[in-house]
Amino acid sequence: MRSACLIVILALTAIAACAQSDLQGIWSNATITPLERPSDLAGKPTFTAEEAAAYEKQVAERSNVDHRSANAEADVSSAYNQFWYDRGTKTVGTRRTSLIVDPPDGHIPALTPEAQKRVQETRAWMQEHSTDGPEGRSLGERCILWATAGPPMMPGPYNNNFQIVQTRNQVVILNEMIHNARIIPLDGSPHLASNIRQWMGDSRGHWDGNTLVVDTTNFSDEYSFRGSDRNLHLTERFTRVSPDTLLYEFTVDDPTAFTKPWTAQIAVTTTKGPIFEYACHEGNYAMTDILAGARAAEKKSLK
Amino acid sequence: MRTKLAIAIAAVGLISAAPMWAHHAFAAEFDSSKPIKLQGTVTKMEWINPHAWIHIDVKNADGTVTSWMVEGGSPNTLLRNGFTKASLPPGTEIVVDGYQSKDESNKMNGRDITFPDGRKLFVGSAGQGSPPDSKSDK
Repeated sequence: MRSACLIVILALTAIAACAQSDLQGIWSNATITPLERPSDLAGKPTFTAEEAAAYEKQVAERSNVDHRSANAEADVSSAYNQFWYDRGTKTVGTRRTSLIVDPPDGHIPALTPEAQKRVQETRAWMQEHSTDGPEGRSLGERCILWATAGPPMMPGPYNNNFQIVQTRNQVVILNEMIHNARIIPLDGSPHLASNIRQWMGDSRGHWDGNTLVVDTTNFSDEYSFRGSDRNLHLTERFTRVSPDTLLYEFTVDDPTAFTKPWTAQIAVTTTKGPIFEYACHEGNYAMTDILAGARAAEKKSLK
Repeated sequence: MRTKLAIAIAAVGLISAAPMWAHHAFAAEFDSSKPIKLQGTVTKMEWINPHAWIHIDVKNADGTVTSWMVEGGSPNTLLRNGFTKASLPPGTEIVVDGYQSKDESNKMNGRDITFPDGRKLFVGSAGQGSPPDSKSDK
């Protein structure tokens, strides 16, 4: 009787595993569609096919950094030739004119007064101390977190690739940028205690039909996404809507930072592998160069 | 110090609100008041992240040679576009037009890298209509 029960349990487990939607694969979220709707597209939530093609042409022309700027400061900020970039060439498959779908105006809601004050203080401090030492540089420059690697995952200038590996009890998302691997338990376990804070937060997943829903809380006090604070509650939804398309949605809910929640949506597509290693610390000469440049400037000013 | 550190680190979210171009702020590393254009011979290329570096030797008027390091972008992008370590062999003559580092060492960004005849190096990034645009499965 016991062995019969065991067989039944194993069979049910297998059915449950098989019933999960298969999100596995290597995906690209590269798109030229901006997070927020450009002002010249105000009131226009979607493109027609022709409009999308015209916009793609216009953006390809405008963002080609091989065009040198007469302004030297802007020119140096463009960094290097176009061949190093891989932002993608297409608008998002949903034909939305912004990745943000809610609020309907396609813009991040206003920050709360407290968050505005925090952001202003941060900017002021950064201006004064950004070259004091490595701690004053951004997390990306320090190879700790890439600003678009997430969570939430956003398109960036290059290496917009991630791989999903899935088991019955866990999903792993390997992001090419700074090769972050996020392990998401699906076993119904609760979030970590609220005093335990992590760079990428604490993600827990569950299935809602064919959609994987991932809740992330417990972000580090030292992390901020577009002005968020430690109370950020991020909800991501992954739905494989076709063999080569994954609809990725995320909702940012942080009542102490934003005046209301907001949601973005990206149609992510399959891409050829492999994911390449991004050994960020290995050759991060720029960090020493930036600080050495600041020290050289200080010496000059003392003369 | 702790508070200041927290404030500084939180800036990742602020910075990400602006268009992001490179892994780090090139304007913090290179001096916009020191434009420089050099022609030299490649001695090696470091295929490292976050950014690749091309080393060149530049012949001076007096016959001496000065070595320079030129900063590029993520090598992952080149690999994905089909380039390999053999794509830029030592001995290749290139022209680099960019800005010198703020510490005045012999480093510069490869704002514009071409062959001496003006052809662009590593042509084939996405969006330029060149063959690697068909690289994805899409």
